[in-house]
Amino acid sequence: MKSNDKLLKDLAPKKFGKLGVIWTCLLIVIIIAGVIAYIDQLIKGQIVTNMRDYALWGIYISNFVFFVATSFVGSVTVAILRLTKNTWRTPVVRIAEIIALAAIIMAGITIMIDMARPDRLLNLFIHARIQSPITWDVIIIPTYIALSFLLLYFPLLPDLAILREHFKKDKPTLSKWYGKLSLNWKGSKAQKNIQSKSIQIIALMIIPVGLILQTIDAWLFSTTYRIGWDSTNLGPYFIAGAFVAGIGALVTVVYIIRRVYKLEDYITNFHFDKLGKLLVLACLTYLYFNINEYLIPAFTATEDEAIHLNTLFTGHYAPLFWFVTIGGLILPIIILLFKKGRKPLPMFLIGLIVVIASWWKRYLIVTPTLLHPFLPIQGVPESWHHYFPSVHEWLITSATLAMALLIITILVRYLPIIPIQRTADEQEELLKTNKNAEQ
Amino acid sequence: MKNQLNFNLILLALFGLLLFSTSFQSLHAQKVKKEKVRLKAQYIKIMDGEIYLNIKVTARVKRKNIKVSNIDLTIYNKVNNKKIKVGETTTNIDGESKFVFKSLNSIKPDSTNTYNLVILFKGNDIFKKAKKNIVFKDVNIRAKFITKDSINYISATLIDTNKDSLVGNQSLTVQVQRIFQPLFIGEEFIITDENGTILVPIEEGIPGIDGNLTFEVVLNDSDNFGTVKAIVEAPIGVPIVDESTFDQRTMWSPRNKTPLFLLILPNLLIFSIWGLIIYLITNLFKITKS
Amino acid sequence: MKNNNKNSRRKFLDKGVKFSLAAVVGGIGLSNIASKLSAKPNKSSGGKIELMTTDGTLIEVDSTEVQEINLPSKEESNKYNVREGFSNRKFVMVVDLAKCKNALKCQQACNKGHYITGDNAWLKVYKMQESKETAPYWMPTQCQHCDQPACVTVCPVDATFKRKDGIVLVDNERCIGCRFCMAACPYSTRVFNWKEPDQGEITLNVEYTPDYAGSPSVKGTVDKCDFCPHQIVKNELPFCVTACPNGVFYFGDKYEDTVTNGEVTLRLKKLLEDKAGYRLMEGLGTEPSVYYLPPVDRLVDFKEGLDKYKKFQSTEKS
Repeated sequence: MKSNDKLLKDLAPKKFGKLGVIWTCLLIVIIIAGVIAYIDQLIKGQIVTNMRDYALWGIYISNFVFFVATSFVGSVTVAILRLTKNTWRTPVVRIAEIIALAAIIMAGITIMIDMARPDRLLNLFIHARIQSPITWDVIIIPTYIALSFLLLYFPLLPDLAILREHFKKDKPTLSKWYGKLSLNWKGSKAQKNIQSKSIQIIALMIIPVGLILQTIDAWLFSTTYRIGWDSTNLGPYFIAGAFVAGIGALVTVVYIIRRVYKLEDYITNFHFDKLGKLLVLACLTYLYFNINEYLIPAFTATEDEAIHLNTLFTGHYAPLFWFVTIGGLILPIIILLFKKGRKPLPMFLIGLIVVIASWWKRYLIVTPTLLHPFLPIQGVPESWHHYFPSVHEWLITSATLAMALLIITILVRYLPIIPIQRTADEQEELLKTNKNAEQ
Repeated sequence: MKNQLNFNLILLALFGLLLFSTSFQSLHAQKVKKEKVRLKAQYIKIMDGEIYLNIKVTARVKRKNIKVSNIDLTIYNKVNNKKIKVGETTTNIDGESKFVFKSLNSIKPDSTNTYNLVILFKGNDIFKKAKKNIVFKDVNIRAKFITKDSINYISATLIDTNKDSLVGNQSLTVQVQRIFQPLFIGEEFIITDENGTILVPIEEGIPGIDGNLTFEVVLNDSDNFGTVKAIVEAPIGVPIVDESTFDQRTMWSPRNKTPLFLLILPNLLIFSIWGLIIYLITNLFKITKS
Repeated sequence: MKNNNKNSRRKFLDKGVKFSLAAVVGGIGLSNIASKLSAKPNKSSGGKIELMTTDGTLIEVDSTEVQEINLPSKEESNKYNVREGFSNRKFVMVVDLAKCKNALKCQQACNKGHYITGDNAWLKVYKMQESKETAPYWMPTQCQHCDQPACVTVCPVDATFKRKDGIVLVDNERCIGCRFCMAACPYSTRVFNWKEPDQGEITLNVEYTPDYAGSPSVKGTVDKCDFCPHQIVKNELPFCVTACPNGVFYFGDKYEDTVTNGEVTLRLKKLLEDKAGYRLMEGLGTEPSVYYLPPVDRLVDFKEGLDKYKKFQSTEKS
């Protein structure tokens, strides 16, 4: 019981300090600015963006791809690590689930921002053509939202029951809410049975659904004829990219939460070490697919392919390309191969670079291809030969990122970031095995 | 001195006259100057079909050709120096009008069996009056298709109805009806021989709906006879086969014709996954109840 | 005495001349004013309407000068199902590159006929040169109305569709503006209405049908060449075909094996065989409906078209 009290004290959700309030207010301000910009876009049309007939997709789409990729962290951490029996994952699973849920919800919202006629949203359901990759996207995203939510909720039930008890005295209304959400959890054998069976089903389902989600996202590009998109490599390429983006985001958020909530006892250097090794694995896989995507086409390039590779290697997009590849991929691999590199602070910095590089990588996937179509760009204003997002696009995109962070913040504020019941169970297990060992 | 004075007075008078006359003219010119119209008319006779006049009225206003719409025209038949009114018509929005004769008997030819028509425009506030004469003799084209030594031909004879005389040395055009513009069979102009006939071989492999082709033998805008057209139906075409994929299940068809594997497989996947999700949600309710 | 008399006479004459001149001039002036006053038309202005002139500029016109006409389009549209198209037809176009001199009359006619007010025309004449050693030529390009259209395949809401007669159209009332069709088209022939199109009131009281594209254009949707079904239904050729002064465009029904440029009518198969017709990017497998005749034995030198060439403009902006 004593250890349980300590657990509760450390892990129960706490009120926001000054920093927390400032952080939340900042996010809300960014979101409001974005909403105003979006309303302006609805009134004036997408002419307020810098997208035109050639650069017909811009950062709305690359932002969308980024969110979809980041949401893969749920599948990886929770399901894959679970099925491979990596028990060290316990302290980080909830954070991973929260990030995944926030990312996939924002993916759904972001793609609607790119639609020029959101008033005709229902057409996507009434007149849906299943031959279209967009329809596949419309199906898979809600599916993944549902599964991510269930993956967060089922393991949460025991913790909600604990919190109901914990807050009964000081915060009765909060306690009542926790109680309602805990669905009468009493820890009975029957309930535990249903819960563990369900979690096992979800874990098994979310891996293929997660893989399908990333693949369909890739197929939005590879079902066209365009150079740079029409690649047989794109499906696995996006999956590996999601692996990297997801874990990078996880590492970054874990470090921040650990610092703010002082959870050094629970998320130790050991965990960072393991996460670091996982990130290296992800980056190596992604590097392999990058080589297949960029280096090998350079070997026998058609003229169109050569134009595409040149803009990336030595042309207009070269600085960005090399930042993303070296800074976001090769550097992490090198640093994380050393034990010192897998300490918390370097991990955080690497995680941050990986996330930023992941966002700009998707920009490099979407924009350059659109600016070298098969037929020359003629008969349109000079500005249409280039693309850089407008103020509206930046404001709206920042708002979506802020909204994702806000969802994470709110969930972190009200939910135990580290599963309390599970940690308690694991500690009990540990005590038992120690006792047995001694005897 | 006096001479100079007189001279000045005369100059003054002349000057004044000049000014007065110009002002008179400009006064006169304030009345609207009427524009000229151009009347174009074509007499067209379809064998065993309509006989009509195709009238087009245009005017050149401010250096641009415009169509004159909504004006009234009267058609007269000139017989023995008498003008008999045949009918009236009004031009449509495109400045055109089609005046159909109930039959050729409604108008009378003169002694030389030439028909003389006048289209008269009485004029209005904007346009001057105008008239156009149309002179023609009645002629028939008898056309048919024949097959000789397994080659198809169009044969046509030009006959003057007056004495049933054969008209030679006229340019006929043989064409097959197509959308937008007809396709010529043989040369564009084929001259009738001394028997007033032409014989044109039809090239192979002309497609037609159900193999039916509609040929036309046309005497186009001749000076003496106007335009005469004979229509010949011949089932000697290659039947058209509809090759469109509209009725097939393809990747680009509307949703009611999706390919079967896309209908079955994805739906199977979706239903099984969502079936499991619903089962999981029911599990949540089970937990609540237990 | 005599001098005085002379002087006074001179003065008298002087004044007299001046006075009569003034009188005459004044008389003319008065008469002009009087006639203009009497010749003024007695019209009552009942408000103004904004219209578009034939060169694409917006003007304001008195409403009484506008005459109501009965457009046959509504009745004629009911003659056939717009999504199915004309039966027993397959429309094709043949573009003779040997005759094209970049006169751009086709583009102007298409822009006017479809009330195109954006920055991107639906029909563009490209300055093409595959490599430095091969000949440059002018290539008019518009929607190819492919038989295996990539754009139709990817549309999530069936807003762009392929008809039985081969024509691919856009339903601007269903389009959600996702622009996937534009991403999928390898010929870059689709344009997007990023803002409310400035078409004025040209399309008052006309019921929208997909077979007259641009009438009106809709904000946030895709537009492209429609092969002019609104002309075909009147048995007339598309705007570009009629407007070309060099007879570059041939249009017709592939099933009838006949195409015409308005003056010359030819058998399609023979034309393609004799002049080695080909299709753009045949290797992609899109099966376009537009054939090109190679620029052999050019009637006019390629350089003649260079002064009309505008790299950054394809529509007239008022």
